[in-house]
Amino acid sequence: MASLTIDKLTKSFGSVEVLKGIDLEIEDGGFLVLVGPSGCGKSTLLNCIAGLEKTTSGEIRIGDRNVEGLHPSKRDIAMVFQSYALYPNMTVRGNISFGMEIRGIDKDEQQKAIDEVADMLQINELLDRKPSQLSGGQRQRVAMGRALVRHPQVFLFDEPLSNLDAKLRVDMRTEIKRLHSRMGTTIVYVTHDQIEALTLATKIAVLQDGYLQQAGSPDEIYNNPVNIFVADFMGSPSMNLIDSTLVERDGQLEIQIAGHGGSSISLPAPDTPDMRAHLNGPVVFGIRPEAMTDPDGADRTSPHIETRDCFIEVSQPAGSDTFALTPLGGKECIARFRADAKIELGAFTPISFNMTKAVFFDPQTTNRIR
Amino acid sequence: MRDRLQDWLPRIVLAPSFLAILVFVYGFILYTGWLSMTDSRMLPNNDFIGLDNYVKLFALKHWSIALKNLAIFGTLYIVICSCLGLFLAIMLDQQIRNEGFIRTVYLYPMAISFIVTGVAWKWFLDPGIGLENTMHQWGWESFEFKWIKDRNMAIYTIVIAAVWQSSGYVMAMFLAGLRGVDNEIIKAAQVDGASGVLIYRRIIIPMMRPVFLSAFVVLTHLAIKSYDLVVAMTGGGPGRATEVPATFMYSYTFTRNQMGVGASSAIIMLIMVFSIVVPYLYSEIRHGEKNR
Amino acid sequence: MSHPSQENAINAGSLTRILIYTLLIFFVIYYLLPLWVMVSNSLKTLDEIRGGDMLAPPKAITLEPWRQAWSQTQIGVEATGLKPYFINSIIMVVPAVFLSTFLGALNGYVMTKWEFPGVNLIFGLMLLACFIPFQIVLIPMARILGMLGLAGTLGGLILVHTVYGLGFTTLFFRNYYAAFPTELVRAAQIDGATFFQVFWRILIPSSGPIIVVTIIWQFTNVWNDFLFGASFSGYDSTPITVALNNLVNSSTGVKEYNVHFAGAILAALPTLIVYIVSGRYFVRGLMAGAVKG
Repeated sequence: MASLTIDKLTKSFGSVEVLKGIDLEIEDGGFLVLVGPSGCGKSTLLNCIAGLEKTTSGEIRIGDRNVEGLHPSKRDIAMVFQSYALYPNMTVRGNISFGMEIRGIDKDEQQKAIDEVADMLQINELLDRKPSQLSGGQRQRVAMGRALVRHPQVFLFDEPLSNLDAKLRVDMRTEIKRLHSRMGTTIVYVTHDQIEALTLATKIAVLQDGYLQQAGSPDEIYNNPVNIFVADFMGSPSMNLIDSTLVERDGQLEIQIAGHGGSSISLPAPDTPDMRAHLNGPVVFGIRPEAMTDPDGADRTSPHIETRDCFIEVSQPAGSDTFALTPLGGKECIARFRADAKIELGAFTPISFNMTKAVFFDPQTTNRIR
Repeated sequence: MRDRLQDWLPRIVLAPSFLAILVFVYGFILYTGWLSMTDSRMLPNNDFIGLDNYVKLFALKHWSIALKNLAIFGTLYIVICSCLGLFLAIMLDQQIRNEGFIRTVYLYPMAISFIVTGVAWKWFLDPGIGLENTMHQWGWESFEFKWIKDRNMAIYTIVIAAVWQSSGYVMAMFLAGLRGVDNEIIKAAQVDGASGVLIYRRIIIPMMRPVFLSAFVVLTHLAIKSYDLVVAMTGGGPGRATEVPATFMYSYTFTRNQMGVGASSAIIMLIMVFSIVVPYLYSEIRHGEKNR
Repeated sequence: MSHPSQENAINAGSLTRILIYTLLIFFVIYYLLPLWVMVSNSLKTLDEIRGGDMLAPPKAITLEPWRQAWSQTQIGVEATGLKPYFINSIIMVVPAVFLSTFLGALNGYVMTKWEFPGVNLIFGLMLLACFIPFQIVLIPMARILGMLGLAGTLGGLILVHTVYGLGFTTLFFRNYYAAFPTELVRAAQIDGATFFQVFWRILIPSSGPIIVVTIIWQFTNVWNDFLFGASFSGYDSTPITVALNNLVNSSTGVKEYNVHFAGAILAALPTLIVYIVSGRYFVRGLMAGAVKG
């Protein structure tokens, strides 16, 4: 087991730069999730760590060892692929033992390792089947078995759950989390699914256009996004990003937001030097749907709740909650009401804003205003 | 060290094939091009004479007969194969019982050598023992079919044999094309009230454009290269009546000791083939990359 | 053509369908006619052919023409029959097919899984090479074979057929491997497999269909070749197509049509058998040869 350090990593394909100076670190035993929209460079970064792509500049260290130029098989890593990449002509047993066979490990030891992994993943009775005879979930397990049997320093997962149906995906997610806590191996995991990122990671790295936008714990990423991109990308439904104007009244800073028709609401804003720099200008007010609730559903532990009347246009019951849509700052914003909260459509209804969760962004730079 | 070797291995593995193609195809083309501008006779020599061989070539009656024959043969071969191929494909696409068997029969000539085809048709069309004689046996005394011995008609017998050999191939190309047509388009046309014939004429056949193009390129290429069939059926005769560029090139180079002229005729053949194939391949590759 | 889905069939009355079947059967007869002529007349005596109906079945079956064609008839100077030439063709075809298929597989593997700058240009050059009229290489090839001491030998013909088969074999394997998941190659690399281990252990076991297609394609082309055989073979390396042509078109002696037909069938038999046994793969090769990219 080992830590993983990525230092000023760049990668170009021809003249196209796909990774633009990535600095990232995950401690020994950590679970790093690389997340971002497709084309952001997350899979390329994973392939660079694996040694499947050559880096253009920068350094990758596994433990204290610089792995630059090392063949993938000598980096002490294992990888689970999106398509599982099971060798179609070999049985499950052959798939799991292929790497050991190449390394010239003797048969008895191979057998022991296979049994151990098969027990762990409960795939004993599949060992003599071909991949084409397996279901999606079984293939997934075999792919993991093939990685586990190597006892690597670092596990790499490339969107391993994206080919499974919704129910199986949740099961396998739990399984991966359980395996991680049991074995304590360092994991790097690529996904475009932000729920996977939040549930699995000890550290999340959000990438966009080859840049690392933010790296931090799931809590940091979710509650303290550094810019509009991260705020918008993480969370479902995503954060409400409301155009507003920052004004000063009676020595207090507050934001004014256009509501339904000609109406408007104002909410208090924190008084910091950074905020004051935007006085009388536009700011983007960010607030998650679960921080906009019916008054009875408001978070009682929060020291700062503000309740305003907002015009409800649409309600979408979603089982455990009901989402209420209200126009704020010229956009539909989503508030998360209790399932049994009374909602009158086409009328003004009080909504409680949990202002301890509010964040503000500069609409020009899209960066956070602290 | 071993990793470095692994890095170079792909290039090392590809190198022999690449070099072989470079030398044996492109190097040879250049060499033939050079020979076509020398005064080479029985053996190659390096006396440069510019384009004299080409001037000589196009002044030769023998060469103009070969070109004329290629024009007749090529046009008929391409047109008949395409029409017959499309026709048979449409017929076969009508939920035919035993389709597999019929398809197999239509296509088998493609598996045999042009020499065998030539032998079969040579004797079948021979007036002495073949079709004509058979008709006389059957009591049709006035039946006459002497094309293969007739200077003006012999080239058409080559067309008959060549069409027999290749039309099944074109049929298979069109059938694959027809089977690739999206069923929903046809259903939509049926809903619009179009009849079967109209659907073929207005919708399906226009969609076969890429197949027509592929068939055209393949057939043109085969027509220009065609050598075996002529040799086996008529040997270029009677007289020079069925000479084509391929037989011309061979006889001038290897039996008449006019290597310079032979080389120039080969260059002309290459130019003919490439002027059809290069634009086609270029558009195919461009198209393929766009769809990636 | 593997998935029959003829919903575009013309909905027609039974009269039209009778017409369609009549036409289809007419063409079945048209395509089978030369084969019938060859087979039936190869079993007749020369007298029967001269005096009779070419389309009729033999009155009394004789195998003498076949015996003649195989081992007795005079071709060139000696009365050896087609047998030695048939054997020449086999000695020529087997290594040429094996070599060009093997190299094509390696080339396709490199071009799809180990791309390096310039690979696409190399592929373009190989693809274009499929289409050259071979007349363009005859003169220099004759010289090179002479310089290598391979003029008039089966070795020379094997070299020629291997080189000029490479374009198509590479094309077949490249297109097949392009659809082969690259992740499998990556997984094998992580498992520590080398360049050749990936090729032998991962790709080749999954290449069955394309290997069959390529072998059939190459076998048919090399066996049926006439131009290279006529240009580069010597006295004891003549392939069967050339020998057959010499037999049929020799200007001396009596024309033994029945022997010619038997010889023609002998020359066609190997490729015909391959076609009948594995027609599906044969057609796939033809299609791949026609539609590039």
